[in-house]
Order: sequence, then C-alpha cells, then structure tokens
Amino acid sequence: MKKDKPDQIPNHVTDIILESVSDGVFTVDHEWRITSFNHAAEEITGVPRDKALGKYCWSVFRSNMCEIDCALRRTMKEGKRFVDTAAYIVDSKKRRIPVVVSTSLLKDESGIVLGGVETFRDMSLVDELRRELDARYQVGDMVSRSPSMHRIFTILPQVAQSDSTVLIQGETGTGKELLSRAIHELSPRRGKPFIAINCGAFPDTLLESELFGYKAGAFTNATKDKPGRFAAAEGGTILLDEIGDLSAAFQVRLLRVLQERTFQPLGGTKSVKANVRVIASANKNLAGMVKKGTFRQDLFYRINVVRLDLPPLRERKEDVPMLVEHFIARLNRLRGRSVTGISQKALALLLSHDYPGNIRELENSIEHAFVLCPDGEIEPHCLPDNLRALVSRPTTNAKIDTALQSVEAQVILDALKRNKFNRLEAARDLGIHKSTLFRKIKMLGIDLPKIDGRTKRKRVH
Amino acid sequence: MKVALTVWENRISPLFDCARTLLIVDITDQTATNRYFEPFHCESPSSRAAKLSDLKVQVLVCGAVSDLFANMIEAHGIRIIPFVAGAVDEVIDAYLTGTISSSKFQMPGCGTARDNGYRKKN
Ligand SMILES: Nc1ncnc2c1ncn2[C@@H]1O[C@H](COP(=O)(O)OP(=O)(O)O)[C@@H](O)[C@H]1O
Ligand SMILES: [Mg+2]
Repeated sequence: MKKDKPDQIPNHVTDIILESVSDGVFTVDHEWRITSFNHAAEEITGVPRDKALGKYCWSVFRSNMCEIDCALRRTMKEGKRFVDTAAYIVDSKKRRIPVVVSTSLLKDESGIVLGGVETFRDMSLVDELRRELDARYQVGDMVSRSPSMHRIFTILPQVAQSDSTVLIQGETGTGKELLSRAIHELSPRRGKPFIAINCGAFPDTLLESELFGYKAGAFTNATKDKPGRFAAAEGGTILLDEIGDLSAAFQVRLLRVLQERTFQPLGGTKSVKANVRVIASANKNLAGMVKKGTFRQDLFYRINVVRLDLPPLRERKEDVPMLVEHFIARLNRLRGRSVTGISQKALALLLSHDYPGNIRELENSIEHAFVLCPDGEIEPHCLPDNLRALVSRPTTNAKIDTALQSVEAQVILDALKRNKFNRLEAARDLGIHKSTLFRKIKMLGIDLPKIDGRTKRKRVH
Repeated sequence: MKVALTVWENRISPLFDCARTLLIVDITDQTATNRYFEPFHCESPSSRAAKLSDLKVQVLVCGAVSDLFANMIEAHGIRIIPFVAGAVDEVIDAYLTGTISSSKFQMPGCGTARDNGYRKKN
C-alpha cells in the first residue's frame, strides 16, 4: 500500500474482489481468532463462513503447520511475509488436502498491526497432474527407475506411432504384455481393440481357427461363421504372445499373413484384408532359435523390425522398491485397504530374492502380504515362505543383519557403477538423499575408486 | 479405563496426524483418577496406532485426523472421538459428563446431522 494514497477503493469493492479470487483468504486478530473468511476459503476447507468467524484459526484450518511451525505465527513475530509454504490441511471428511500458504501482516491505514492475513491455494489438482507428468518413471501402467527400462520408455512414443511390427523379448513376467498394451495406447490405434493370443497354448489346427476364424461348414461342428482374433482386432493391435512356441508349419502360414496382410478363414474361399498392427513376444531368444534352426529366419526378419528387450527383474533390483510401492497403492485402491508401506527388513528380503518369475512373482508376493497383513506396514512374516527362507533358517540376528547389509551394499554398488560412481546421480537413481547414501557407503564399508564421476560426467537427457 | 487426548499447550491438538503429546487419563467410575503425559513422536499411521494400543488406550479424543490414521487406529479396536476442540480440562469434564459431542467442543463445520458442514456447489 502506498503512503500518499489516491482515492481509496471503497470497502465493499475490496470485499467483492476477495470473494471472487480462487485462493482462500482469512484474517486473524492478535488472539488468533478469525475475523474474515472468503468464499474460496469456505470451498477449500469445507467450513461455512458463519461457523468460522470468531473461532481460533487452527480449529478451522487444521494444517500440519499449526502446532509445529505456524507460518502466520512467524509472520506475526518477525513481521515478515512468507510465500508459498507447502502444507496440507484435513477437512471434515478426514481428507488431506495439499495447499500452499502465504502469510503477511494485516495493518490499518496508520500502520498499526491488526493481525495477520493468510492466503492458501488448493493444490490437489496440481499434485495429481504432477504425478501424471512424472513420465520419467511411468509409462502406461509400467513403472521403473532403471536405466535399461528408461531407454525403452524414451523411444516408446516413436515406436508406438510408427505402426511397424514390434518384437518384445523377455523372460516370463517381465511385462511383455503390459508393454504391448502401452504401445497400443500410445499409438494412433488407441480406442480400437487390443487382442492378445498365446500362440503356445493351442495346437496348430485350433490356433488356425482361433486366429483366422472359420466359415459355416468348415468342419462338422461349424454351424455358423466364427470370426477369429485377427478379425476381432481389426483397426487395432494384435499381440502374438510366445511366438517362439509356433510349430514350423504354422510359422510358414503366419509369414504369409504378415507379408500379404491378408488371411483366409478356415473353409473360406476369399482372403480377408487385415488392418492390424502386429506385436510379437517371446520368452526365448529368437535369434538363438534361428541359429539352431528352430525358428524361420524369414519370419524372424519380418517381425524383428523394432525389438525391445525387457531385462529380468534380478538385473534391475533398483526397481523393487518402486514396484512394491506401486503394487501397494494399487491393491489399497482395489481393495479399499490402507497398508501404509513396507518395513525395511521386509524390503531387504524382497531385494535379496532372484525372481525367476520376475515382476509377476513380486506382484504375487505383495498380494500374499495383503492377505496376511491387514494394515500398517508389510513385515517379513507377511511374505511368502520362499522369500522368508532367509529369516526362518536358524540363524542369529547378527547373521540376518549381515545378509541384509550385503544385499544393500550390492544394490548401492550396482547403482554407483551404473552412474560411473557419481554419487549424486546414484542417490537419485536409488531414490534416496545423497547424505543417506554417504552414510550407508560409510556404514557398509563400500570401497570406492578414487574417481567420483562428478567432474567428468555430463548429464544426458 | 484409559482415554488418550492429543494435546497442544493446554488445548486439544488441531491435527492428530502431527500431534506430539498424548495426555493419558485413567478413569474409574466416571472420575479421572490419574493423568500423565506421554511423548508421541512416532509418525507413521501404524506406529501411532501401535503406541496407543501398547498404552492400552480404549478411547482417543483428538482434533482433525486424516482417514489413513483413523482407519488404522479403529482397526486396533480403539474408539475415536474426532474433531474435538477446546481447553483440555473442559474437554475431559465434558467427556466424563457425556457432553463431549455438544457443538461447543466440535471443530467448526465438523458437526453431525443438523450441524452439517459447508456444502460445495457443483
Ligand atoms: N514395469 C512394470 N510396472 C508395473 N507392473 C508391471 C511391470 N512389469 C510387469 N508388471 C506386472 O507384472 C505382471 C506380469 O506382466 P506381463 O506383462 O503379463 O508379463 P509377461 O507377458 O512378460 O509374462 C502383470 O501383472 C503386470 O501388470
Ligand atoms: Mg505374458
């Protein structure tokens, strides 16, 4: 406010302005009693103005700052403004609402302090957007913070747009199907069908009618036409899962379909055009099968246009904490539960396992834990037996600690190596603070080479 | 029977989630026979619930509380009287005389039925 004031804005105009802004605004007197409360403040807190006026601000605002570090209190004490402090409030429905808060002194024309002003903004939407925008770690339903997966995430939008055939290789449970769905969802074909078929699950004759359908009369029980999966996927994407399991004869048939982009239903006379994007997946190394002569080279070339290799979970253990968090959040949502997280010991057990079943196995372990741990944190005793082998063996506590620590040391060392011993990057990679990393390096006695990567390495983004 | 109150200075703490002091009150025949403070520094919902349970608390009187904490505590069989405001002594008296749910001790906009909170216009 200027000292040599021009015409003053009449009071009722300031009221109108206050009522129309989207930020919550309230003022308090020296006793912390609310003296004004605007419309947005009612909306955000859910407290009607007539109930708020005259009440202590903390009984209306109920934020995590009130008791410990009240911004308004600091402003009143130090006479300073505070801008954009992040906090949360809890409304009458027990919901936490993230807010940012700014505070300043409320003075009259002669400069006498009447109390304080607090403005606050509802950040729920922003928080949600931010979570969605964190695409560095999430594509579709897939989460990962490992560099090998990030290479895939980075090129995925282009791969999806290109409409070319994609070959996805990876052990069972590494997310091949999830990745194909993500490709479909990022492609112009999104909104059209996505059809998956497991080629290894059918004998040739059945697979043929499953894929291409049949005409009435094609065989004894075929009383009417039945469209196959290719027809069902028209305009969309088909995933030929476990393509390495195809018989030699069927490989020839499929090759022709992929070359000509047409197929013939069983018992039909006309070929049908197929506008379908093909994604193939294999849990075996197809190139190796080609060398051994069990997979046709020409078919391999036809599907190996773009190849994505999903690394097994044991080669990206740094993903375990994030995946655990992801599965807990999802199961909480699905089952209306409130499991809060996982204890350090339980997480260490999960980190020390090798996961032959990869992410599916980890997911199943968390589901198992949800059955045994009704709420609170997931503890070691909630995990499946095979994971707990480490604890149930008659070892002393000291031994368990050592085992856990050596796993931890390994995970840290891997992260350091991946990041060329740049500690800051390694800490970021692990999702921990750098001082935590320093402390752990010291505590676990991890030997570091003299270089620290900070000076040499350039960030690539 | 033991009743716990989350307290701040001489009032009920505004928000249970980050309250730092518990006042435990032993009650026999509707009179408070003993009271003492307990530090309440644990932070996660599970550890807060476990602490209350370890202290053999049967009823919790607190200010605002978010559902994650409330659910966890109720799962331990502890009854919660939430959204209470006021001076500690008055609140204890009100509890003993069965008048704690009167609007005098309710946080604004948190009452039940008639005294409902503000409704958002959509
Ligand atoms: N990166 C990931 N993030 C989250 N969930 C994943 C991820 N990868 C796999 N999953 C989950 O693991 C399970 C197995 O994945 P799936 O795609 O069926 O594997 P595959 O087809 O390779 O056997 C699914 O439930 C899937 O949701
Ligand atoms: Mg699969």
